[in-house]
Amino acid sequence: MTILMPEPDQSVLARRDEIIAALRKIVPGEGVISSAAEMKPYESDGLMAYRQPPMVVVLPSTTKQVSEVLRYCHQNGIKVVPRGSGTSLSGGALPLADGVLLGLGKFKRIREIDFDNRAVVVEPGVTNLAISQAVDHAGFYYAPDPSSQIACSIGGNIAENSGGVHCLKYGMTTNNVLGCEIVLMTGEILKIGGKAAECAGYDLMGVITGSEGLLGVITEVTVRILRKPETARALMIGFQSVEAAGQCVADVISAGIIPGGMEMMDKPAIHAAEAFVHAGYPLDVEALLIIELDGPQVEVDELIGRVEAIALRCGSTTCQISTSEQQRLLFWSGRKAAFPAVGRISPDYLCMDGTIPRAQLPLVLRRMNEMSEKYGLRVANVFHAGDGNLHPLILYDANKPGEQDAAEAFGADILKLCVEVGGVLTGEHGVGIEKRDLMPEMFSDIDLNQQQRLKCAFDSEGLLNPGKVFPTLHRCAELGRMHVHKGQLPFPDIPRF
Amino acid sequence: MDTLKVRDAQEVEDAVRAAIANEQPIEIVGHGSKRTVGQLMATNAVLELSALNAVTAYEPNELIITVQAGAPMADVLSLIDSKNQQFAFEPMDTAALLGTTPGAGTVAGMIAAGLAGPRRIKAGGARDHLLGANAVSGFGESFKAGGKVVKNVTGYDLCKLLAGSWGTLAVMTEVTLKVTPRPESERTLVLRGLGDVVANKAMTAALGSPYDVTGAAQLPGSALRTTGGALAEIAQPDQSLTLLRLEGITSSASHRAQSLRTALKSFGEADLIEDDASAALWRAVRDVEPFAAAGPRALWPVWRIVCPPAAGGALGEQLSRESGGEVIYDWGGGLIWAALPPATDGHAKALRQRVEKIAGHATLIRGSEAVRAGIDVFQPQPAGLAALGSRVKRSFDPTNILNRGRMSRGSAT
Repeated sequence: MTILMPEPDQSVLARRDEIIAALRKIVPGEGVISSAAEMKPYESDGLMAYRQPPMVVVLPSTTKQVSEVLRYCHQNGIKVVPRGSGTSLSGGALPLADGVLLGLGKFKRIREIDFDNRAVVVEPGVTNLAISQAVDHAGFYYAPDPSSQIACSIGGNIAENSGGVHCLKYGMTTNNVLGCEIVLMTGEILKIGGKAAECAGYDLMGVITGSEGLLGVITEVTVRILRKPETARALMIGFQSVEAAGQCVADVISAGIIPGGMEMMDKPAIHAAEAFVHAGYPLDVEALLIIELDGPQVEVDELIGRVEAIALRCGSTTCQISTSEQQRLLFWSGRKAAFPAVGRISPDYLCMDGTIPRAQLPLVLRRMNEMSEKYGLRVANVFHAGDGNLHPLILYDANKPGEQDAAEAFGADILKLCVEVGGVLTGEHGVGIEKRDLMPEMFSDIDLNQQQRLKCAFDSEGLLNPGKVFPTLHRCAELGRMHVHKGQLPFPDIPRF
Repeated sequence: MDTLKVRDAQEVEDAVRAAIANEQPIEIVGHGSKRTVGQLMATNAVLELSALNAVTAYEPNELIITVQAGAPMADVLSLIDSKNQQFAFEPMDTAALLGTTPGAGTVAGMIAAGLAGPRRIKAGGARDHLLGANAVSGFGESFKAGGKVVKNVTGYDLCKLLAGSWGTLAVMTEVTLKVTPRPESERTLVLRGLGDVVANKAMTAALGSPYDVTGAAQLPGSALRTTGGALAEIAQPDQSLTLLRLEGITSSASHRAQSLRTALKSFGEADLIEDDASAALWRAVRDVEPFAAAGPRALWPVWRIVCPPAAGGALGEQLSRESGGEVIYDWGGGLIWAALPPATDGHAKALRQRVEKIAGHATLIRGSEAVRAGIDVFQPQPAGLAALGSRVKRSFDPTNILNRGRMSRGSAT
């Protein structure tokens, strides 16, 4: 493990038995897990390179229990890491050795479906896909669709502000959540927003979304649902250069067309995916675009023609248009299976997640190829092309000495490059522990201090999910002082990790 | 009152630092077009941002525009319009409602007020379109929030807090906004003479249909008597109008308009209004023209009420019946504009009782100084939320130097 976490508090660890007993009083029965064997499944999330057994796992089933657990931990100076389904790819739910892992998996009820207000109220452990399934019979769905939607929980989606293929047209989680019930670290239960389209006062829902479990524990969520589009069709378009494919993306958008999804794969990714799912992808192209148009039939049919014409002008060498739902899904099958497909051609891979201005794509890909040579590691690329969100997959073999370190250094270089060309460190996976130490690439100390001050407004003792997102831990009292000078670390005595 | 006209972000930082040092709360102003909204402020100096008016970068293909805080909204709208683009949140022009100079208002002012137009129900609000900002906090420090790309989850989304915070958290100096293609064409279906509750049902049905409705509004007949322009052209005396908008490529908008017309047959025969005429109609709805300050309702307080959409019809009907006022429903009933006859408290007490029952909230957007001095202009929050809000305010502005008192009575925050 190359990421350092806060030093465990030995005084807390010394009280472990007492703490477990107290937690058992709040959450009786099987709700408290403390044996090493039973805690094993909780020691990492989707970022499995990092593992840490928690001090204890608590699985509450009511808001009252969550509140009492947090109040107890707050009063006793015990750290808490909230966890949904554990599908985070940035280590957001990585446990702490001296912390309680608070699993929300038992919060699985859909509390209310309100078609008239186009809203659904659910508990945080409900999966993303289950929301759409619950309203499907009436022709509705929940738009944000992270790749892990079959498993990821809506509470986790809010923590990470998760995206997916539909983001370009339908927005991210933050654009589709109306309200929540949240428990602060003190145990205080607050209701924020509801079925109305706006919160009163400051937009607390907006800042809680994407806060990576550092501000509070969500126990109920109200999301917006949309009517399902009448139809969807996809084009699969091949190009002899990434530049031509990038131009096609830009031209589609400047023609006023916002597709339901617009994804790109480079040659290594195309080959890996085709070998895996046999989707009929052309193997003699450098870049493949999958563009999906959704909406009323008449609109989709016309836009398919417009996009095809744009692609031809941009030099497409192959273009297939789906004529059935089965074929549309086949086009997507390779893209959706790109990660496991790449897993078949390499013992290990790192999946990166940065966003760049789309126009910088050719430059970024060129520089990535140079880095690939420098580090001696292959890279396959899949992108959410419409919004510039890249997922370079860095291939390596953890059994070869030095390769994992090289892969991580390569990944860090890619993210720094994203920032250098005007982009950001993460488009949808979050900062977590994975990109925590890269935050200064994008934000100054002043920027980060301002974010941490906000954290203090929610959690003044810094007990909720510490060690994530911020490369340096500050004490709230010190962050509140005025006249911190630019560029200077204000409190050099506070250790950096 | 001192007015300091700043020219760049450094001068903003200097000014805020000086204000902190002198313990002198400052009012932040762009064009001043919305100065009359909010509680009366406990400020005695003005920081004017209108000279920070440059367009820093406009990248139509990237769907973003970066402008300085004081850039005139009218200029920026005209610039993006020249590339067939728009702000999808359809920002309202408050000039007619507040009686200020037509076309005035800055981009950051619009974001700080967080006011969105009829497309809010489909495309989201101002908060959904602010991708990044540079701002100066009440610590006198320049900080960056967000970024300049449409998909970004790096760190806390401070932009969400800045939108709708009425200048109480930080002084924005530059903002990056998402732009989207302007629809090729638009169609509006007009139903006539529906009562509020029935109209609300029609709007709910339309918004729940697969026809992608991007605007659903109900205007009372009584308000239409007093307005000119686009509304007067289609209105009959004392006849309410229910408007439903469809946008997109021409073939699609026409097709969906026909389908929706059929689907809503039980609510009556709908007229069809196209393109420019339709756009004019929605501008009138967006800007709440029936309650214009130049009209006979000039002295009436105007409230902006946000509630669960399906509850809007009954609430609006009750409000107008009890007070003798008039209401306009936007967002399919999720937003109600209510103009109520003059009253000492602007009807705050009665109105809030009704609104709270259905989990909504209300803000007095137009009201005299006397009314604003005596009531909570913004919706009072439950104690826990209010306390958290105050802590959030202090985390940006610990000495309460920025727009002191604008959002909360008693000038505490």
